[in-house]
Amino acid sequence: MPYCPVCSGSVDLLATRTLPFCCERCRLIDLGRWLDEAYSVPEIKRSADEELEVESQEPEDIG
Amino acid sequence: MADEPQTPGYTSEDLQHLSDREHVRERFGMYIGDNTLRGLHHLVYEVVDNSIDECMANYAKRVSVIVNADGSVTVEDDGRGIPVERHAQLSEEMDREVSTLEGVMTVLKFGGKFQKGAYQTSGGLHGVGVTVVNFLSEWCEVEVSRDGHVWQQEYQRGEPTDPVRKIGTTTRAGTKTTFKPDPQIFPNTKFSWDVLSRRLQELAFLNSGVRIAFADVASKQQEEFHYDRGIVEFVEWLNRSSDAVHADVISIQGENEGVSWDIAMQYTGEFTENLHSYVNNISTTEGGTHVSGFRSALTRSLNAYGKKTGIYKDLVPTGEDVREGLTVVISVRVPHPQFEGQTKTKLGNGEVEGIINSAIGDFLGKYLEENPKSAKSIVQKGVLAAEARAAAQKAKALLRERKGALSGGGLPGKLRDCTSRDVARCELYLVEGDSAGGSAEGGRRREYQAILPLRGKIINAYKSREDKVLANEEVRSMISAIGAGIGDEADLGKRRYDKIVIMTDADVDGSHIRTLLLTFFYRQMYRLVAEGHVYVAQPPLFRVRSKKSVYYVQTEEEMKTQLLDQGLGEGVFYPGDGREISGEEMQKLCRTLSGLEDALLALERRGVSLRDHAERRDPQSGKLPMFHVYYGADERWFTSRKELESFVKGKEKSAGGELAIGRADENQPGSAQPSGASPGTAETGDAQLVVVDLHEVRSINAGLAELTGMGFDIQSLLPQDRTGSEDSRYTLRRGENEIGLDDLRGLLSAVRRAGEKGLTITRFKGLGEMNAEELRDTTLDPSARTLLRVTMTDAAAADDLFRVLMGEKVEPRREFIERHALDVTNLDI
Repeated sequence: MPYCPVCSGSVDLLATRTLPFCCERCRLIDLGRWLDEAYSVPEIKRSADEELEVESQEPEDIG
Repeated sequence: MADEPQTPGYTSEDLQHLSDREHVRERFGMYIGDNTLRGLHHLVYEVVDNSIDECMANYAKRVSVIVNADGSVTVEDDGRGIPVERHAQLSEEMDREVSTLEGVMTVLKFGGKFQKGAYQTSGGLHGVGVTVVNFLSEWCEVEVSRDGHVWQQEYQRGEPTDPVRKIGTTTRAGTKTTFKPDPQIFPNTKFSWDVLSRRLQELAFLNSGVRIAFADVASKQQEEFHYDRGIVEFVEWLNRSSDAVHADVISIQGENEGVSWDIAMQYTGEFTENLHSYVNNISTTEGGTHVSGFRSALTRSLNAYGKKTGIYKDLVPTGEDVREGLTVVISVRVPHPQFEGQTKTKLGNGEVEGIINSAIGDFLGKYLEENPKSAKSIVQKGVLAAEARAAAQKAKALLRERKGALSGGGLPGKLRDCTSRDVARCELYLVEGDSAGGSAEGGRRREYQAILPLRGKIINAYKSREDKVLANEEVRSMISAIGAGIGDEADLGKRRYDKIVIMTDADVDGSHIRTLLLTFFYRQMYRLVAEGHVYVAQPPLFRVRSKKSVYYVQTEEEMKTQLLDQGLGEGVFYPGDGREISGEEMQKLCRTLSGLEDALLALERRGVSLRDHAERRDPQSGKLPMFHVYYGADERWFTSRKELESFVKGKEKSAGGELAIGRADENQPGSAQPSGASPGTAETGDAQLVVVDLHEVRSINAGLAELTGMGFDIQSLLPQDRTGSEDSRYTLRRGENEIGLDDLRGLLSAVRRAGEKGLTITRFKGLGEMNAEELRDTTLDPSARTLLRVTMTDAAAADDLFRVLMGEKVEPRREFIERHALDVTNLDI
């Protein structure tokens, strides 16, 4: 059984008209959060290691 | 003075003294409200109330209500029975022998309820109860069993037909009243089963322990109501088809200054308040001081708790918000209730408000402290309600704005729209970053490809962590560019493009933005995803230039595999033991090493060196340990779960019970030191068990086993101190070239470097590093690009991942990310 992204209540896949939310209200709350910029994901800074890896990809003849 | 005005015909003839009986029959509205069905049913309640009073005074246990076949009603209880002896005061006033029973049935304001002693707080209205019922009945009959005898009297329209008679003997006690409502008063005298049943059940809830039997002779229906836990069961019954937010029904009882209260409450997932309030069993549908006292105490207590625990952030819920989903039954008993309001169902006693307010405030304050789990759920429910209110306003504003935008043709300023209006051909590329947006604009097919550059906005979300959000403006731009609307007003037919293509950088950051966008579409534009209009572009990660051609490679793995394949060529590997490894054998060795590479890096990223870890090998199986365990001062490594379990069992035995589980501090990779406070000691009994699972060791052990099969052991992976030796430990020869290697791990990169010969490889750090031409040739041109259509499964997976990734402002899931930061690659989709 899937669960509503806002209230975590169960969602009836067949009967619900507001998928993936359990109801219109929860969908609205979610929309409000997007508009409020309340949803975020972590920003991953490129680490020094990765930069180095990039360098080593430059062509280089062996021997 | 002859013109002095006179009221014509106004003489003593016009003034009459109405008897009690006549007054009630003419002004029934003053006594039972009206003569509709409501008033009709009120008759039954008046009689039942008397029986309930007997129950509440502990004289009766059982009340039975029967609607007879002729439409009359019989109410019977097993109480003391109305007194039947001669009543001195009445007999004197009426100048004849009058029984108390007759007084009760025929004289208004005559009854036990005026003296506080007889009934503490009575539900029967002002003592007019059964008298009024008698007056408004076509006929009525009352039978009292008391002191070994049965007494009886009959009435026609309220007037006794005979004096009270003794009709026999009995061992029982109680009062049985039968009455038939007078059709001269009530246009409709048919009782409703549902209405009576509901009220009788309500009375049974309100008066725990009372047993009320109800039957309808004509329809042969019958029911019995009996609730030992009273209004707690009432709340459970009201919530029978709702999901409760907390398991327990909160029950509050007490008494102060003569006012007593019995309150039961529970929150459910519903969005409305379900409040039932009573004063002395009378339903107070208009509320009053008991309800307002309760409500202000509830708001105050929850808000104080929400602020103190930090559950409240920006929004502070209102009283209405905290009552959302609340089911509550408030039953108070007040000695002298004053009823106000249009239907006289509003309690007016001012003193009740303060008494209830402070009692409930004290109780809830304590309850919330002692039940943090329920408290949190309840308070969070209020926050959601407040959020819903604010969100609804924002959504309305957005809708207005969009409607304005539609009529004004106002597409977002950043949108580089296509020229064609043929929706089936049109595509919208959502491109991360302004510079990539520029390249995409240059490389697109202007006729049917539109570009909307999006920029993740960086915010300082939590401690040192930076977060990316989709700015409000970007969300609105997407909605209006796509044109199909959202939620209720969504209409896929109005979409302006057939394909919505998400194009983000091929790194972890880009995958996070992609997750964010997919989640937004999945949640707010569900149909768009369900019907397959959302796609993910596959920009390359590498450009490879050889003498003859230029081509692009999409993933790191693919690049490595290609280089390995090309580098293997004619290469021969000399492991220094006389063997020569080449061809298929060489390929097999490189594949094994390639499988080991990531796992070894993961191990080292924890701060565990392979050299140290090799020392911990199980001498028999040669396997490396994969569990790092701390218990108090005890630090152990185990190669299998079985060993770990037997260790835990042993510790449980000496600790005499289950062990406390601590959490590893994974901010310090490789250390299984418990976070925060000291790990405690086994001696003092506060030791915590901390287990770190080094998942990658599973792959390492598998790889080592393969290596063993090829004649290498773990030492071959570790550089050796070879002071004094001129020769390399291992040698890779490829044509004329020879490379010396210190350990087997170096073989892979040596082979790959060989594969790079003659190639110029560029790794794109982001979409922005590609020029318009490159972007067109790899990602935009329909004949060259690869688009992945997003399935519902993909989108739901993105939503799941998003719930894990998303910022603390909504839900504190940081823990998860921090715990899994080590294998961040697993978070990519």
